[in-house]
Amino acid sequence: MSAGAMVDVPRGRTLASGNGIANIAERALPWLVPIALLIVWQWASSTGRLPSRFLPSPRAILKSFVELRSSGELWTHVRVSTERALSGFAVGGGLGLILGLLTGSFRWVETLLDTTLQMIRNIPALALIPLVILWFGIDESAKLFLVALGVFFPIYINTFHGIQSVDRGLLEMGRSYGLSRWALYREVILPGALPSILVGVRFSLGFMWVMLIVAETISARSGIGYMTMNAREFMQTDVMVVGILLYALLGKLADLLSKGLERYWLRWHPAHQSAR
Amino acid sequence: MSTVFASREQLKRQILAEGRQYSRGVPVSIRQVSIALGGRTVLKDFDVEIPSCEFVAVVGRSGCGKSTLLRSIIGLETLQEGAISIGRNAQSRPDVRIMFQDSRLLPWKRVLQNVALGLDSSFTPQAERVLAQVGLADRAHDWPATLSGGQRQRVALARALVHDPSLLLLDEPLGALDALTRIEMQELIEKIWWNRGFTAVLVTHDVAEAITLADRVILIEGGGVALDLFVDLPRPRARGSARFAAMEDRILQRVLQHRASAIDEAKARVNGNEEVR
Ligand SMILES: Nc1ncnc2c1ncn2[C@@H]1O[C@H](COP(=O)(O)OP(=O)(O)OP(=O)(O)O)[C@@H](O)[C@H]1O
Ligand SMILES: [Mg+2]
Repeated sequence: MSAGAMVDVPRGRTLASGNGIANIAERALPWLVPIALLIVWQWASSTGRLPSRFLPSPRAILKSFVELRSSGELWTHVRVSTERALSGFAVGGGLGLILGLLTGSFRWVETLLDTTLQMIRNIPALALIPLVILWFGIDESAKLFLVALGVFFPIYINTFHGIQSVDRGLLEMGRSYGLSRWALYREVILPGALPSILVGVRFSLGFMWVMLIVAETISARSGIGYMTMNAREFMQTDVMVVGILLYALLGKLADLLSKGLERYWLRWHPAHQSAR
Repeated sequence: MSTVFASREQLKRQILAEGRQYSRGVPVSIRQVSIALGGRTVLKDFDVEIPSCEFVAVVGRSGCGKSTLLRSIIGLETLQEGAISIGRNAQSRPDVRIMFQDSRLLPWKRVLQNVALGLDSSFTPQAERVLAQVGLADRAHDWPATLSGGQRQRVALARALVHDPSLLLLDEPLGALDALTRIEMQELIEKIWWNRGFTAVLVTHDVAEAITLADRVILIEGGGVALDLFVDLPRPRARGSARFAAMEDRILQRVLQHRASAIDEAKARVNGNEEVR
């Protein structure tokens, strides 16, 4: 399987799990540095060594988070941004998947489209921003377009590649066991391409947030990017940091979600077997 | 096997008397076939007629073209010359199943679903039964990735046997099995073939296995048929018997003879070079 290397391999615990204290120490260890950093940061802020117009203290950030949440503002912005991200992902990812399936499955579609798509791929999506603003203004559609564009290529390329690299031996086997064209597609080709498609999904989620942040920073009247840019005008560094952390949180969530999908859909994969 | 088969003819008469359909086997005719792979000739003027319901074993050294022969029968190889036909006439499209040398299980389907591949759900009990016959009933709901090599091979065997083909091709179906399991699986193959009466072509490295199972053993050498031997021992065949041993010896001698002549040729070449020097 070509995408085998991208599948998460569950690691065995290295320290003896029977030993209670060693176990707790092992769990606590990764958090030591972040907590120490937070303490130093808070200390530097409260002693005035770190000016708050430069970077607010962790406590100020927490406070502004709670305020934003209780006013309902936070939720609105998060919802708007998530909707944009998801609809862009649906459009771009859906198109990438369909075109990848077509070019991967039919020789003539590949001949017709692949060269064109590869040429377009070489244009950095962010370089299109001036044109996109010209075409769509600072509308919702501009953001949708940018996100969809960022998501499209990773999914397209990995779908195409996944279909092309389906084990020929399994195809031969499927045909000789009397599978019809559609059954062959459903039972052999699609599941065979799935690991690669999911790798594409994970890559594209990264691009999805990058494109969304750029689009919302340039122009928006709502969303996390708007909240952050608006805060900049009033020098509310605490709100700006909250916005940045929200992006990080959403990114992490999306990643967890795609990993969960992988774990479910690829549960047959040898890399997922050692857990049993 | 409980019944002692005196001869195939006897069983045929008995089954016909019971009113059962005697066979669904089809004849296979391989005429003057030549195949080249990667620029090298693998089969040359290969010529074999297999009558319906016959059990043919194909033996030969590794790389002599046994798998290529099976693949060409189901149309996976392009013939440079010659023709292969299955069935009594060109119109009929007989049901052919092959068990590949590598087990080729779908890793994303559980063991039972692999066995029942291409069959609708009404065949599930049958798939379960064959899976039990190869000794893997308790692994029905596992993923192929969790099986050992020999277990995978047995799943592939079950998948080939659950269908009801008129021609069954087996490419070293028992290669990864221990001696005991191997004998059990040989008995299973023989029993199923005997009851259903399809035509069977079995590729094997094991000359004793070929003689145990087949009506006829074909040795491939140099891209052609080097030996075509009918095994007229009564079934089930006892490995210890003198006739069995004699037959095994004869085939092995033939294989070794080829090696001897190859060594002689090589020696002659070396000597020739020395003379030139
Ligand atoms: N796809 C291929 N391209 C080029 N040569 C091939 C290909 N497949 C097989 N061959 C060659 O054809 C010859 C016969 O191969 P084949 O697989 O039929 O051998 P075999 O008798 O089944 O051997 P084994 O007992 O090891 O399975 C070998 O020399 C092999 O190298
Ligand atoms: Mg072979």
